Amino acid sequence: MRKPMQTGLIVAAILAVLTITEYLFATHVGDDLVRFLGITVSALGKAVLIIYYFMHIYRLWRPQEAH
Amino acid sequence: MALATAHHEAAHAPAHNHLAINRAGLWLFFFSETILFGLLLSARFYLEGIHREELNQALGLLITVILLLSSVTAYTAETAIEHDNKKVASWYLFFTIVLGLIFAGGVAYEWSIAHFHRSESFGSIFFTMTGIHATHVITGVFMLILVWAQALRGRYSSKNPWAVSAVVMYWHFVDVVWVFYYPALYLTK
Amino acid sequence: MYAVKSVAGAMGLGLIGFYLGLGIVAVLRWLFGYPDPWGGEINIIGGWVLGVFLWLMGIGMWGMWGREWFGLKTYQRNLPGWQRYFTFNTDHKVIGIQYLVTFMVVFFLAGALAMLMRAELAQSGNQFLSNSQYNGTMGLHGILMVAVAVAAVIGGIGNYAVPLMIGAQDMAFPRLNALTFWLVPPVAVGLLATPFLGGIEHGWTAYPPLSVFTNSSQVLFSLSIITFGLTSILGALNFIVTIIYMRAPGLTWGRLPIFVWSMFATSWIALLYTQGFAAALLLILLDRLGFSFFEASTGGDPLLYQHVFWFYSHPAVYIMVLPGFGLALEIIAHFSRKPLFAYKYAVAAFLGILGLSGVVWAHHMFTSGMPNYLHGPFLVATELISIPTGLIFLSALGTIWLGRLWLKPPMLFALAVIFNFACGGVTGIFLADVPTDIHLQDTYFVVAHFHYTIVGGEIFALFAAIYYYFPKMTGRMYSERLAKLHFWWMFIGFNATFFLMHLPGIKGMNRRIADFQSELDPLNLTISLAAFLLGASFLVFIWNMVYSWVRGPVAEANPWQVRTLEWQTTSPPPHENFPAPPVVRGGPYDYGVPGSIHATFPSAPSAGFAGAPAGGGQ
Ligand code: HEM
Ligand SMILES: [Cu+2]
Repeated sequence: MRKPMQTGLIVAAILAVLTITEYLFATHVGDDLVRFLGITVSALGKAVLIIYYFMHIYRLWRPQEAH
Repeated sequence: MALATAHHEAAHAPAHNHLAINRAGLWLFFFSETILFGLLLSARFYLEGIHREELNQALGLLITVILLLSSVTAYTAETAIEHDNKKVASWYLFFTIVLGLIFAGGVAYEWSIAHFHRSESFGSIFFTMTGIHATHVITGVFMLILVWAQALRGRYSSKNPWAVSAVVMYWHFVDVVWVFYYPALYLTK
Repeated sequence: MYAVKSVAGAMGLGLIGFYLGLGIVAVLRWLFGYPDPWGGEINIIGGWVLGVFLWLMGIGMWGMWGREWFGLKTYQRNLPGWQRYFTFNTDHKVIGIQYLVTFMVVFFLAGALAMLMRAELAQSGNQFLSNSQYNGTMGLHGILMVAVAVAAVIGGIGNYAVPLMIGAQDMAFPRLNALTFWLVPPVAVGLLATPFLGGIEHGWTAYPPLSVFTNSSQVLFSLSIITFGLTSILGALNFIVTIIYMRAPGLTWGRLPIFVWSMFATSWIALLYTQGFAAALLLILLDRLGFSFFEASTGGDPLLYQHVFWFYSHPAVYIMVLPGFGLALEIIAHFSRKPLFAYKYAVAAFLGILGLSGVVWAHHMFTSGMPNYLHGPFLVATELISIPTGLIFLSALGTIWLGRLWLKPPMLFALAVIFNFACGGVTGIFLADVPTDIHLQDTYFVVAHFHYTIVGGEIFALFAAIYYYFPKMTGRMYSERLAKLHFWWMFIGFNATFFLMHLPGIKGMNRRIADFQSELDPLNLTISLAAFLLGASFLVFIWNMVYSWVRGPVAEANPWQVRTLEWQTTSPPPHENFPAPPVVRGGPYDYGVPGSIHATFPSAPSAGFAGAPAGGGQ
């Protein structure tokens, strides 16, 4: 279980970075559009990471896959 | 009036299909819930645009980090069960429960210090979105506790991981919702 | 009688749960220092949640499901005979019949309310009902009929037929299936209790601000519908997984019977959009508890409700009609003894409607005061839907063309679906065009339109399906003569009532109002008489069904000489559906194609089924 745990920790680190990015965009960027894009892209990135690496959405179309 | 002990889940589906069937059902449930959360999110921008009342930023960031962290512990629990590491799994399920409760407590605290009321439109939106989300968190905590109690008795293993996987997937889903709700409620202008 | 004890016990538990819920909320409110712990509506909400939960547990969910959550062994009681229908039974055939009978009863109750409304509307002024009684009658009729339209075909016919048609033994999630049915009785009780709290004043659409200020029956309405939404969503989920994963070997997507395709598209709509109705009513409940989503003076917006509501309720009309289309095509193909014309286009049409259904909702809001720039896009999107709808008509008409029509009762009803829906679709165009809609909105023209589509399109298909599957479900045959009498009586009564209803609509007679201008008296009297005629036709149906179920002659396994799988087993089918697992070898509709076979049963003792007799009945 070494390998999946490594993946988990890397994903966690990226999630942390994206959360900080998001927060900094909200507090430090004045331009409405740039701020909106920055926050949205960070949130989408976090969601994709969780859905792919944590929820294993790919198992849906690879049902025979052994965990 | 026979008293049969078996219930036939997915009768006659080939055995290897059971997991796939359960997983597909759970995902469909998530799709449906996504619409509910999406509608509330749209209502937030429909009524208020990007206007927002003052909120406790430090608290918001903190509970967000805690919820993300609980996803990592949940992931660890699932991975452990899939590798028959039952002890680690039980512990990490426990950590997830604790983190979930802290998150819910954080939301409750935010409610108690909010300086707006539910009879204003931002208050309506804020309390409803966080409230529905917190209801899902609490439901998740209940399910985690049930699964944890079984895990302690060693009922799950790599051959029988579904209950753990399911509750963990649900937990991640609730986390994904917060990934969007947090910026929509705390980070707009 | 175990079944009687179990139902009575579950009802008792439900009541205890209800009062317990009331009490728990009261205690919580007292702890938080509210001045009025018995505050009313919030207590009802708590009571409802706990009551429904304990009712489910009592009816059998505890033994079959709940015990598992605590690591205990689950068990199921398999009761004989009629008692099956009163327990938490997971057999899809039992559940289908439970749904069908329940919703037929609801249909006749709501029909009786319609008779009451027509009695009041036979003359201008108020004769039998006060304005608020009329509103309550109309609201209850509307919401009960919407429930019938959403659940009778899907829950009844869909549950019964889909697993059989795809050669499965049951649905993918049998316990979930039973759960969806046993959520229905609390919904029925909740809705039928509304008159005791003052009646639903706001119609089935529950627009604010009225729904926020009206009497407390609103709370029961909202809770019932949210619960009912849960039924819809979980049922839809079950159908999608079943159709994807449980098809018999060889039953490829291209060989799926068209009714199964229509159920697949419908289930996606129900799965995704039903949340809109639930969300809308949840917000209404919250506004009643002091929130302000729809209160303009504190920053809310009543139009928000209409958007969320129609986001579900337009797709809902396709939840109602798509299975109806599927049944009509299915029956027309079998009773024309021809391959279904343009099968692929019909499938594309179902998927196309699924795609478009979510982007047209605001055609219900042209007069609501929403921004004008939204009119054009929603007009165009709405009319785009006529393209896939047209493909379904193409398929039906192409199948009838030069077919060898076998005019049995199911076929008569299926052909009527095509005729009626054509009328409903044409009137829809006047409502989708903004200039005409501004005149017609909120008049009896709209009422005529949606009765043509829902009753004419779906309820006729429901009767087609009942006459089609009755021998399969009960193992007995009904009187064909009475069935044909019912058909012509209902067809004429229906068209007379609802065709005439367009006329006062064009003259501006408002819907949902007990009174109208006295110039419209003769017209409304005629409509009322036609409506009574229509109502009386169902007496024939009820007599025919009840008598035949008990006394009818024993039916053959395949009285219609049809090729699809549900007819290749006994009537009624055994618990496990087929004597041996079927293997599909060809399409379901290849009538007259030499050497074609739909399915075989390789492991059955005798060689099994080898295609329908060429030429079919007569
Ligand atoms: C041929 C395609 C259709 C078109 C273009 C169409 C168009 C419309 C429009 C524009 C309205 C709004 C009328 C108004 O309130 O001013 C409407 C109302 C309605 N339609 Fe349709 N429709 C179509 C098919 C259907 C179908 C298939 C059903 C149901 C099976 C249906 C059921 C309804 C209902 C229930 C209402 C009234 C809702 C209410 O206000 O209570 N329609 N239709
Ligand atoms: Cu519509």
